[in-house]
Amino acid sequence: MTALPAAHVPPRGRAERRARTRQLIAGLAWCSPWLIGSSLFVFAPMVMSLYFSFTDYPLLEPPLWSGSSNYQQLFHDPTFLRVVKNTALYAALSIPLYTIFALVLAAAMAGRARFTSFYRAAVFVPTLVPLIASAMVWMWLFNGEYGLINKVLALVGIRGPAWVVDESWVPVSMVLMSLWSVGQGVVIYIAAMQDVPRQLYEAATIDGMNAPQRFLHVTLPMISPAILFNVISLTIAAVQVFAVPYVIFRRPDGQNPAGHYYSMYLYENAFIYGKMGYASAMAWLQLLVVMALTGVLLLVGRKLVHYSRL
Amino acid sequence: MTASSPQPRDLGAISRRAALGALAAGAAGFALFGPRGTQAIPPGRIVLDYWEKWTRHEGDAMERIVDAFNKSQSRIWVRYIVVSDIGQKSLVSIAGGNPPDIIGLYAFNVTPYAESGAILPLDDRAAAVGMSLEQYTPGIRRVMTHRGKWWATVNTAGSVVLYYNRTAFRDAGLDPDRPPRTIAELDAMHAKLFRTDSGGGLQRVGFLHREPGWWSWLWANHFGGRIFDEASNRATVDSAENLRAMDWMQGYAKDLGVQRLKIFAESFGNYFTPENPFLTGKVAMIIQGPWIANLILAFKPDLDYGVAPFPTERGQPPDMPVGLIDTDVLVIPRGAKNPEAAMEFIAFTQRQDMTEQLATAHCKPSPLAKVSEEFLAKHPNRGIRVHYDIFRSAGAFVPPRTRVWQQFKDEYDTQVQRMWRLEQPPQVALAELQTRVQSLIDQSADQQRRRYGPKGTA
Repeated sequence: MTALPAAHVPPRGRAERRARTRQLIAGLAWCSPWLIGSSLFVFAPMVMSLYFSFTDYPLLEPPLWSGSSNYQQLFHDPTFLRVVKNTALYAALSIPLYTIFALVLAAAMAGRARFTSFYRAAVFVPTLVPLIASAMVWMWLFNGEYGLINKVLALVGIRGPAWVVDESWVPVSMVLMSLWSVGQGVVIYIAAMQDVPRQLYEAATIDGMNAPQRFLHVTLPMISPAILFNVISLTIAAVQVFAVPYVIFRRPDGQNPAGHYYSMYLYENAFIYGKMGYASAMAWLQLLVVMALTGVLLLVGRKLVHYSRL
Repeated sequence: MTASSPQPRDLGAISRRAALGALAAGAAGFALFGPRGTQAIPPGRIVLDYWEKWTRHEGDAMERIVDAFNKSQSRIWVRYIVVSDIGQKSLVSIAGGNPPDIIGLYAFNVTPYAESGAILPLDDRAAAVGMSLEQYTPGIRRVMTHRGKWWATVNTAGSVVLYYNRTAFRDAGLDPDRPPRTIAELDAMHAKLFRTDSGGGLQRVGFLHREPGWWSWLWANHFGGRIFDEASNRATVDSAENLRAMDWMQGYAKDLGVQRLKIFAESFGNYFTPENPFLTGKVAMIIQGPWIANLILAFKPDLDYGVAPFPTERGQPPDMPVGLIDTDVLVIPRGAKNPEAAMEFIAFTQRQDMTEQLATAHCKPSPLAKVSEEFLAKHPNRGIRVHYDIFRSAGAFVPPRTRVWQQFKDEYDTQVQRMWRLEQPPQVALAELQTRVQSLIDQSADQQRRRYGPKGTA
């Protein structure tokens, strides 16, 4: 089919095109605050940070092209290697534990038992507490001498550790603190569980499945898209963990090495050491890692996630 | 829906009205309830923004100086703006080309800011308002200058010395008028002051290197060494003196027990609270600056404390005490709109009466060479003369003057923690640290050479 010259377009078509153009202009105009804002404050800084990552940029002086030296230095920087190890350990421990914990709580609260709404609210409310405030609370809860956790342990004859001081206990305390926001996951899983068709459970019951089997063979496959979504969100959050460890572990008498994470070191390089080029290289590496992990999870998801067509 | 349908246009019209209405309501709300200036600025004045880190009593004292300046003349008006994380925000504001007119920074900021041309040299400006370096004590001048130029003035200053609990001394059978002069004496007194509870937990220690742990790098200077040689731009953290210092520090961790120390340290409250371990008597001798007197006055005014230069390995020479000078500084950033007016304000803050007023409120000594006898006699810190002697001493030292000091210090602190936890012997830890920090120094020097040529500075 060949396109008709403009002169041959019937009047109705031109009017339609004009209407569509007007709609497009109106749509763009309505989106323009976001478009302009994102271009100025997200996309342009991203492009600039990519350029900075190939420069020496001490912030107080103009950037100077240095090729790939920032990226090369990263892999010879012992502090960088330490924060990568700490962050990977945190992600490896916190994501599965959070997911399991959220699933168990959601399964317990998905039904219509008495006080369910109260329990759901109780689990969700902690996520509304600002991160810095919750970090301060956890610091005291984990205090080795006066902390509530060690006081409770002492009641059963256990001498609790110095949770946020002892390097071997720091990863454990960080993972436990990550469970504070489990309510977000619980809410998503409850919503997903309530969407599972009842007839599937009825069929499974007729086939002789007990409750754990129904959870394993019906609930989990049916809510697997929600699980994938949550795991991707958790992965991104874990790789970027910052506020809580920054408040707890960066102290005037020095940084606890076990509580030093990737985003903290990135921030220190950018705004404390004034090494914006190096920090930009770290940021881009972090973005690539997040994208790669997300890609892997989506690939795995293709095999494991069940998208219902009911 | 078809293109001829009137619905989209109607919806658009409604939305436009709604949007305009919402914007108008927002603007009216902002106008009615939006932020207001806290002070009315008299018309015709040059307005200067002064960023400072101090809050509470320290901020109040500085605000009084600002108020006095604003009342003293009719040309300039200074706005005192409290800024948290002032180092980071100053960095960004200068880099962004929109800095305030005056910034209150720390002594260690002077070197990197001066070398990168982020602050203005003061030599000519200071001379124009009648100021000279000779106004200041010799130790303070070293903070203000770098590579032969004058970059900062000092609004408050402290030296770091030994504070000890005289009541605990008496309790342990020690003479409260005879503080330790050598490291060996300090160790002996620590042993006598040491107390445990019935379960073996620590109740009181004589001294702890990690309380407060803010200056974990300075022990080398009290063993006759230093950790950085400015002339050669080389770290000297693996020197024999620092090795002896770190062996000494690690000896305490071995004697007291790492696990026991962790639990003990967690029982300490934050610095500015009544639970500070020096106030509660858990640590009988601490290394501290003069500002701790404010803490004592606020929370335990009846504490019987003594002040002395912190001991050295070979003993403090009475006429040349060794000690760190750590100060707050005032600088004029690059891009300041009114540098001359800013200098006029700075000159006002450096008047003897103003420095003494501010220093008294902060419980610190005056940075000036000339102080009134009344200032010393009525000062709220009973150890003020000890602090002041260090300002005038040839044995005084300042934080290492290298561009990479912030990262150098962070790396140092991390390694000190490892030694404190007995994870590494000092020889190994310091050798690793030497390699690490020297590589940071070399990288920075290399970058500066590439940027500015052999002179390596802006």
